[in-house]
Amino acid sequence: MTTPEPSTAEPIPDSDLPGPYPVGAYAAQLKRRLQEFANVQLVGEVWGFRSARARVYFELRDARGALPCSMWRNEFEELGVTLSDGLRIVVGGGCDYYPGSATSSPSFSFAVTELRVAGEGDLLVQLERLRKRLAAEGLFEPQKRLHRPALPRTIGVVTGERGKARDDVLAGLRRRGWAGRVVWAFEPVQDRHAAPRIAAALRELAAIPEVEVVIVARGGGSLADLFAFCDEGLCRTVALLRVPVISSVGHHTDRTLIDDVAAVCCSTPTHAAEAAVPVDCRAARADVAAFARRLHGAGRRAVLDRARALAHYSRTPGQHVARHRTRLHQLLREMRASANRGCEQGRSRASVHVLVLGRGAERAKTSDRLRRRAELERLALALGAHDPDRTLARGYALVEDRDGSPLTSAAAARDAGDLDLRFHDGKVPARVREDGER
Amino acid sequence: MNADRSYESAVARIEQIIRRLDSGEAGLRETLDLVKEGRGLVEYCAAELEAVSAGLEELRLEELVARLEGAGRTPE
Repeated sequence: MTTPEPSTAEPIPDSDLPGPYPVGAYAAQLKRRLQEFANVQLVGEVWGFRSARARVYFELRDARGALPCSMWRNEFEELGVTLSDGLRIVVGGGCDYYPGSATSSPSFSFAVTELRVAGEGDLLVQLERLRKRLAAEGLFEPQKRLHRPALPRTIGVVTGERGKARDDVLAGLRRRGWAGRVVWAFEPVQDRHAAPRIAAALRELAAIPEVEVVIVARGGGSLADLFAFCDEGLCRTVALLRVPVISSVGHHTDRTLIDDVAAVCCSTPTHAAEAAVPVDCRAARADVAAFARRLHGAGRRAVLDRARALAHYSRTPGQHVARHRTRLHQLLREMRASANRGCEQGRSRASVHVLVLGRGAERAKTSDRLRRRAELERLALALGAHDPDRTLARGYALVEDRDGSPLTSAAAARDAGDLDLRFHDGKVPARVREDGER
Repeated sequence: MNADRSYESAVARIEQIIRRLDSGEAGLRETLDLVKEGRGLVEYCAAELEAVSAGLEELRLEELVARLEGAGRTPE
């Protein structure tokens, strides 16, 4: 390597270093020196792949370090592969350095000439493993159990100072009609220092009693850009905070671990702001005014209704008595009229009954007399038929003892001895003669 | 005011009170008590809304911490 010609500029006094050399000459030498590095194969994971007009760019990473890589675009497209974050690949090539110029920036990259896909990236595997471990420890739950105020007065926001997320958060708060206090914690949201800084800011915000909810917001980016939000320490900090954390990191397609740990996970910072203030303040003001009117009306109605009723009662006892007296009189008149009607009807009915009964009695009396006369005649005839005198008149005689008792057998006549023979025209004494007396 | 009271719990209680009043089952004494309680809650809610309506105040965390420390209070 040849030493560049020093410039005519004055060197730094008391410096032992050679120069000063023109930077372009030094950069050109550096390019040559780097190109002398042996071409090798490297293995790592792809992050931040992007395609430019002539070349494609990406980073190759592993747990210990990273290297910016570039490849001619036409050579890359001939491979027919798609590179996504975390994809494990093997590349072949060597170091290259673009020295830049007065109008363009220099850049270092590993110039890739060969490339093949090696398999799923270790970082994504590690991420999934960490997600499972945090879930198994129950760290996804504590934030979900925290009470989220409907109307917080003070909201903490952790975000990048120059990112669009800040404006989006403010837009979401305006949409709610909310104009309270926002405490900004502007922190880096994308590099290896981001996670501990964000965790520290969250701890400080949570230590302020006025802060009721915290938003962690970052705009979209590749998963590599969002990797700070998958940091284990940060996630453990969030899980144990006393205030609810609302995360909005990247987009839903890039789910970071803080999204799992947070109380609520939103797709955009605007939505995160709306989630931090669930109440629409304009509508709430109208609601509260309506509540006030209804309460006032209910109280007024309750008193006035009862006052009216009492006034009515106090005015009308005399009217009540008069009304009842009139009613009683009316009832009395109706009772009298009803009684008179009843008596008249009874009397009329009774006279009809008397008449009917009289006629019936008369009819019964006449018919009974005739019937009895006929019966007597019939009995007289029957008796006449049995009259012994009629038999005696036909020539028969009745034998009686001296006492007048009829003798109905020869033996009785012999026993009696003295007899009377009764004819229809009188009695003739007789005596029974023994056989010897003939 | 009850320290545990929140805007959402106050609104829920007001809605409960209004349902009771609308039912017509509350007597005069209960009605007046409920209206009194409801008015207190409405005033609380109005004050809460007023507190977040005065105008957006933006503070940096370090400013707030410095202010609190200046007031003799450090974050817990």
